[in-house]
Amino acid sequence: MTPIRHGTRFWRQGEPLVWATGGTLAFVLLSTVLLIGVVLVHGLGVFWPSPVAEITLADGTRFHGQQVQTETHPGTGGVSVQFKTANRELDPQRLDFRWVAQEALHRLDYPADVMVVERLENGSFFGCLERVDAAGLDLPADVPVLEQLVAALTAVRSERAARIAPLAAQIQTLNRELQRVQDTLLRLRYRRQRSVEQPDAAADANATCDAAIARAAARQQELQARSDELGAEQRAVAAALRQATAVFRLPSGDTHNVAVADMVRVWQPNAMSVWAKCRHYAAKVWELLSDEPRESNTEGGLFPAIFGTVMLVFLMAITCFPLGVVAGVYLGEYAREGPLVKTVRIAVNNLAGVPSIVYGIFGLGFFVYGIGRLLDEWFYPHLVEANKMVFGTGGLLWASLTLGLLTVPVVIVSTEEAIRTIPQGVRASSLALGATKFQTLVRVLLPMSSPGIMTGFILAMARAAGEVAPLMITGVVKLAPTLPVDTQFPYFHPDRKFMHLGFHIFDIGFQSPNVEASKPMVFVTTFLLVLIVLVMSSVAIYLRNSMRRRFQSRDI
Amino acid sequence: MPLTVQKTTARVKRHDRVARWVITLGGLVVIASVIAILVLIVGVAVPLFRSATIHELARGPLPPALKSADVLAIGIDLPAGNAAGAVHVLARDGAMSFLAVGDWSPLLRREIEPPAGSTARQVRAVERHNGWRYTLTWDDGSLSLVEVTSNAEFDAAGRRTTRWDLHTLAESAGEGDGVPELALMRHGPEGTIAVRLFAGGLLAVSRVVVTENLLGDQETSTSTQTIDVHDLDRITAMTADSTGRTLYIGNDAGCLARWVFDEEGAVQTREIVRAFPDRRAVTALAMVLGDISLAVGDDRGELTTWFTVRVGEKRALTRIHALAAHASVVREIVASTRNKSVWSLGELGTLHWDHMTSERNLLQLSGAQPLVQFGCAPQGHALVALDVTGQLTAWGCQAAHPEASWRTLFGRVHYEGYDEPAFTWQTTGGDDFEPKYSLVPLLFGTLKGTCYAMFFAVPLALFSAVYTAHFTTPAFKRTVKPVVEIMAAIPSVVIGFLVALWLAPLLERWIIAVFLSLLTMPAVFLAFMGIWQLLRRWDACRRVENGYEFLVLVPVLLVGAALAAAWAGWVESAVFDGSFSQWLYQNLGVRMDQRNALIIAFGLGFAVIPIVFSIAEDALSAVPHSLTAASMAVGASRWQTLWRIILPSASPGIFAGVMIGFGRAVGETMIVLMATGNTPLIDLSPFNGMRTLSANIAVEMPEAPVGGTLYRVLFLCAVILFILTFALNTTAEVVRQRLRKRFGRL
Repeated sequence: MTPIRHGTRFWRQGEPLVWATGGTLAFVLLSTVLLIGVVLVHGLGVFWPSPVAEITLADGTRFHGQQVQTETHPGTGGVSVQFKTANRELDPQRLDFRWVAQEALHRLDYPADVMVVERLENGSFFGCLERVDAAGLDLPADVPVLEQLVAALTAVRSERAARIAPLAAQIQTLNRELQRVQDTLLRLRYRRQRSVEQPDAAADANATCDAAIARAAARQQELQARSDELGAEQRAVAAALRQATAVFRLPSGDTHNVAVADMVRVWQPNAMSVWAKCRHYAAKVWELLSDEPRESNTEGGLFPAIFGTVMLVFLMAITCFPLGVVAGVYLGEYAREGPLVKTVRIAVNNLAGVPSIVYGIFGLGFFVYGIGRLLDEWFYPHLVEANKMVFGTGGLLWASLTLGLLTVPVVIVSTEEAIRTIPQGVRASSLALGATKFQTLVRVLLPMSSPGIMTGFILAMARAAGEVAPLMITGVVKLAPTLPVDTQFPYFHPDRKFMHLGFHIFDIGFQSPNVEASKPMVFVTTFLLVLIVLVMSSVAIYLRNSMRRRFQSRDI
Repeated sequence: MPLTVQKTTARVKRHDRVARWVITLGGLVVIASVIAILVLIVGVAVPLFRSATIHELARGPLPPALKSADVLAIGIDLPAGNAAGAVHVLARDGAMSFLAVGDWSPLLRREIEPPAGSTARQVRAVERHNGWRYTLTWDDGSLSLVEVTSNAEFDAAGRRTTRWDLHTLAESAGEGDGVPELALMRHGPEGTIAVRLFAGGLLAVSRVVVTENLLGDQETSTSTQTIDVHDLDRITAMTADSTGRTLYIGNDAGCLARWVFDEEGAVQTREIVRAFPDRRAVTALAMVLGDISLAVGDDRGELTTWFTVRVGEKRALTRIHALAAHASVVREIVASTRNKSVWSLGELGTLHWDHMTSERNLLQLSGAQPLVQFGCAPQGHALVALDVTGQLTAWGCQAAHPEASWRTLFGRVHYEGYDEPAFTWQTTGGDDFEPKYSLVPLLFGTLKGTCYAMFFAVPLALFSAVYTAHFTTPAFKRTVKPVVEIMAAIPSVVIGFLVALWLAPLLERWIIAVFLSLLTMPAVFLAFMGIWQLLRRWDACRRVENGYEFLVLVPVLLVGAALAAAWAGWVESAVFDGSFSQWLYQNLGVRMDQRNALIIAFGLGFAVIPIVFSIAEDALSAVPHSLTAASMAVGASRWQTLWRIILPSASPGIFAGVMIGFGRAVGETMIVLMATGNTPLIDLSPFNGMRTLSANIAVEMPEAPVGGTLYRVLFLCAVILFILTFALNTTAEVVRQRLRKRFGRL
């Protein structure tokens, strides 16, 4: 065989086309890796304390900044560098990012004393600490300024815990009481209104009602006044705490004051050891998982969103699984094979392909405006009269029922498949031993098919955790003031609005005024969501594969 | 002992029976809910097309104090809830009587005084606009502009009552020129305008402007100008917009004329249009809500609407909509103050209710006797009419969604302010805004996004599936399937976010590199193939062809991409003058959006690839091994086996995969919501964004009032999506089941 003939055969037999198909697979796998990689790189790096440089430009301007990324313009080949400059309030356009052309950069220094201050407002602050002005606080005088600042932070925090926290708790109790009184008032007024429309109502009943209304109104005013008073006191204390400030020196030579009360944490990234950076990282991750969001969701934690997602998936699971399993068992074991069952099977398979937004619309029309409004009219007519909705507006319950409906087909299909893969011999043996159909089902078939059913459950939960579109019209919000579970009777409030990781991504990525500053948080949220979903699906796939192997190896 | 066994058996049997029932019921409930979903969303959308309803509220003769020949105008007010309504009747003697709806008992009577110094005793004619504003022309030529008001009040017991009253807004004393043939007054914060048309073709426009000087005192300035219009004689109808700045006139020879006055009262524009070549007489004019469209009734009974459209440099009054024609001369047109609908009364006494935008004839009412006068409630839910015999009838009427029709949803409509008919989706605007509910841009956007995504995804997914199913090693196949399944599980919100915020800016800068890589990647691949046919002589290399080709190709692809990136700058400066987007705009007039169809192709394609891949791979793997073996045994190469044997057998399954992928792309919401910019355009360009049906629902639903037209149109969008995906999936499923049957037999 000569090399040339060898070559032509290579082309003639279509070998390069086989290679081309291999190339597309390589492309698909590469882009998957790229996608996951982008999420990992951006998501994991957010909390690592990166060094802050003192940048001197060619024209003599100096400022502090963290290098974020560099970009090469494909046309001109010019390289520009993006720095996070923080100090938003000092920028005329209130921006905390800045692009600088590579040629304009004169030098970058990394002085050890640059401090990053994470604040409650205006993003973070970069500067060199000069002194701490805290006349009201008893601070050690003969120690370095950094220790003074740490002492001041501790002092302010303990002061806040001692003086503001009890006030806040009191205000919260008052507000709850106020809400109860307002509810009573609305109820009474509604009753009074109704008796006006019915002329045969007893006059003395009306009088009692009027008296009750007057009492409730007086109580409401009293509570409101007390609440306002406490609020003023709280504000006064907070203002007093804000007296303590730290003075920072900026590279431009100016100084800037930051109130100690505004600080969340401070660190000097250029002087930190790896161990200290790891501790900082862990602290930030803990904050992410356990804290409330700040600064229109671009800082702080994700706890309410994580909690909302978990509650949503949990509620979805307890509504959709029983239904899905029952329907799957019916299709797999009880339904007699025929055109009807065939149609039903196609319909169920189809339901899995119906767009999620259609389920959302259905949830809105049926659950929220249908059942919800009906429940409100039955149980809260006084609130309906005042145009306040309890169940008649989007909420956790309706969103989870909608998602339940969305994921039911997944559970049905996997249950049916799991039951059908069990060899016919198993059923025959069980029935031959005298077991009824139900006994066979409960004692033999369901346990045997449980990994398959579990797979369906987990896949359904993964889908529910990542689905956002139907939630957007059935009750998810960007910032929920209260969790669906709290210490207030009846402790669980399925009617409340809730937060969700997926919607969080959409909201801060697309509705935030400062897109650049919110990017790190979006990537962290994305990372968390991808992690949850991927772990769940991996477990499901592993379970399914192990089940397949079990049935393949055993021949009954 | 036997007894226990029997008992146990009985219990077990009972359990079995109960379980059978419960499970069957549960199964059927789930299936019923499937149908319920469709029924519910269709049920919400259907009222869009429901025609208007009408029911009689009261009927009876006018009170004896009022003579039907003396009635000049009537109107009705029907407050919400079950509060009592009232009809007001303006009589020739200048008295407005309010009658209770029901028995027509008099509630209130208000005498309208003629302007000071006037000697008038009777009202000659009445012109109405803006609901309940009436211009009275007295028999000495002076004018009064009055308005009927309705205020809700609560009495001591908390009951809701309504108080009606009459206010004189403005007056204009006649100046001894005699009685005008037609007259109207308009009143606003800027001042008052009175227009009188005298026989012989003289138009007198007098303006009273109230201005506030620096000291805060109010100054009143009056000016009158006369316009000679005798060339238009004989003028038969006249109306003006609510500010009085634009005046419309129609004559008996089919002409329409338009004057626009500037702030000082000088004529800014004068336009005369030969509206009807057949010289028919214009018999009634009225402004449709929003003061843009003019409704014109003529002596052939036709009802048309007109507004100015740009023709060359100028704007010309153009006929836009033709509404349902009357059998006789149109006598009066009254515009709704709620929406773009008009009421019109024909000479033979039939009443029409038409919506302008949708050209829907909502209602045709011909009483037992011809109607001579009518009026409607401002909310558009009640109607009152007087017939020739003096019977006064009140109706409650309802047209919930007059602006929706098959024509407005799916056809081209000439909207106000547009120069030509268009498919437009635009739902928010001011109170008198004309909502535009064309679903065509949304359907177009959905198909555009889906097709771009499928062009990207289908080849990749199918080729990958082919390779995985037939050319790779079994061990790798077992790994790649779960990886693709995990890819399918990535939430679409994540893909959407990455594509919109990470990929889109990147692609904007590297667009040339992306196009170049379409050339460099195949070129590098072909070059590599050339090298490979030499390399494969070595056994070590030959072993790669046992299913590891794709690993070798990874660096090859990377080299192709790197070459594209390296040359992108050079190409952009050499071919496109340094900036591709500017070049595109200057040479092709295409604006490049950052969030465009290419981005959607990547994002949506990425979401679709795993689905198409899984199904196609299943179908390809299901082809019995005996077929492959037989083909290879007779000497076919592995590609020939695939092309001639496996692909034809598996093609229904592959088709099913593509269909299901298409269905998924059609309904995908988050990716398109985040990465398209959501502008409802009809433009095939890959550099523009779009708005899809699903994203439209997500964008507009939070602002749609429950039960409103927008709400129902959005449900209609959902119905379309449901039916579209259901059809696609059913086709796919039927094809798949056929396939299964076929290979079941083999």
